[in-house]
Amino acid sequence: MNSASETLLEIEDLSLRVGERTLFEQLCLRISPGERVTVQGPSGCGKSSLLRAVLGFWPPTEGTVRVGGEVLDDHSVWHLRLRMAWVPQEADLGPGTVLEALDRPLAYHANRRIQRDEAQLRSWMGDLALSREILDQPTDRLSGGEKQRVALLAALQLQRPLLLLDEPVSALDGDNRARVAKLLGQQKDQSILAVSHDREGLGLDERFLHLGELG
Amino acid sequence: MSVVEIPLWNLATAYLLLLIPLALFLYLGAHRVRETLVSVVRMTVQLLFVGLYLHVVFELDHPGVTLLWLLVMVLVADASILRGCGLRIQVFAFPLFFAILLGTILPALFFTFLVLRLDAPFEAQYLIPIGGMILGNCLRADIIGLQHFSENLKKRESHYLLCLSQGASRTEALRPFFRDALQAALGPTLASMATIGLVSLPGMMTGVILAGADPGTAIRYQIAIMISIFSGTALTVFLAIHFSIPRGFSPAGIPHPTLSKSS
Repeated sequence: MNSASETLLEIEDLSLRVGERTLFEQLCLRISPGERVTVQGPSGCGKSSLLRAVLGFWPPTEGTVRVGGEVLDDHSVWHLRLRMAWVPQEADLGPGTVLEALDRPLAYHANRRIQRDEAQLRSWMGDLALSREILDQPTDRLSGGEKQRVALLAALQLQRPLLLLDEPVSALDGDNRARVAKLLGQQKDQSILAVSHDREGLGLDERFLHLGELG
Repeated sequence: MSVVEIPLWNLATAYLLLLIPLALFLYLGAHRVRETLVSVVRMTVQLLFVGLYLHVVFELDHPGVTLLWLLVMVLVADASILRGCGLRIQVFAFPLFFAILLGTILPALFFTFLVLRLDAPFEAQYLIPIGGMILGNCLRADIIGLQHFSENLKKRESHYLLCLSQGASRTEALRPFFRDALQAALGPTLASMATIGLVSLPGMMTGVILAGADPGTAIRYQIAIMISIFSGTALTVFLAIHFSIPRGFSPAGIPHPTLSKSS
């Protein structure tokens, strides 16, 4: 077991209820720097909600979330989000082109010190089999798989220590799944918390947890 | 001044014109006859009361009474918008009230103080009709703006959340929703400014001409009121959304799940 100081993400006795329905109870999970974890479970068991709770989008019914040892609450959430990058299952990349979707986060005040490495971006695009022409395409004309890969690019360029991936390969074919796995495998400095209903996971050297078994 | 009076009997004949839409409704089987009659009766009664109140307000011509009348109008507009948009009173009543009040009063006083340069800028004869015209447009713009903002946010909540996750502040993440709502709300006023005089004679200009002024004076009034209306609607929509945000979102920036009555 890692000590608290080495833990990037610590979820302690987390319960989440939506109305009368309990999604999960007493959930505990620790992720160390560089560690990769895939949470598995059937559709509707609360996997996406777990990621949303970590991002402060859904206040937990009980329990605490700590990021870098700091408790996530209404006030700390704003700077703790800067340690995470989220790739939603069906990303709404917003209006405009793919390039605008990639530029938008870098224009936020909180990200003003992040300089995009253009060569790195082109390399990642190549790794994900995305052509350079896609940068000029409107985001609403992208396929589901292209949206997932662009959302992953947007997350990677932010250089956050923790990647939160919601079914990141669900809309991809076999070749593209392998490409995503290879690219994620190369991000040695980043921790990954992924959720998937797929038993194969991401194909990384990851720790698997079943949502019903956590605790 | 040469205004032709309308005797009550002559006014009654105006109601005969209603036979045209009523006949059309009956012919087409549109179930609007009862609704039309109720609306016409309501309009008549409301305007008779307003005429009576205004007569008293104009007779008194006291700044306090004039401002009180405007406050009552703003309160009624506030309630109309809350009902029209299906918004929760607890969340939106106060922010909307102040947004409408500022959006109406500031351009109206600008008009009477700096454009008309009246010795008595709170004179009821000027402030109430000018304020009323601005308020009527603010009401329509606020309904469009708030509806557009809340519906767009509901539709694209996942994009808003993605922006927050990428490090956007609440203001940064809401800016596109703000911009779209303002554009939607100001669209009708912009279109009206672009075609005014070509496809219709506007209300204020018509009123000033009917009151006996020459068309040149009427046009100057109309230009000033159009600019006041446009500025007032822009201000009120911006403030209505801006003032509502703190009550409509959690401290973590998440839209409140009960923004509207229907949710």
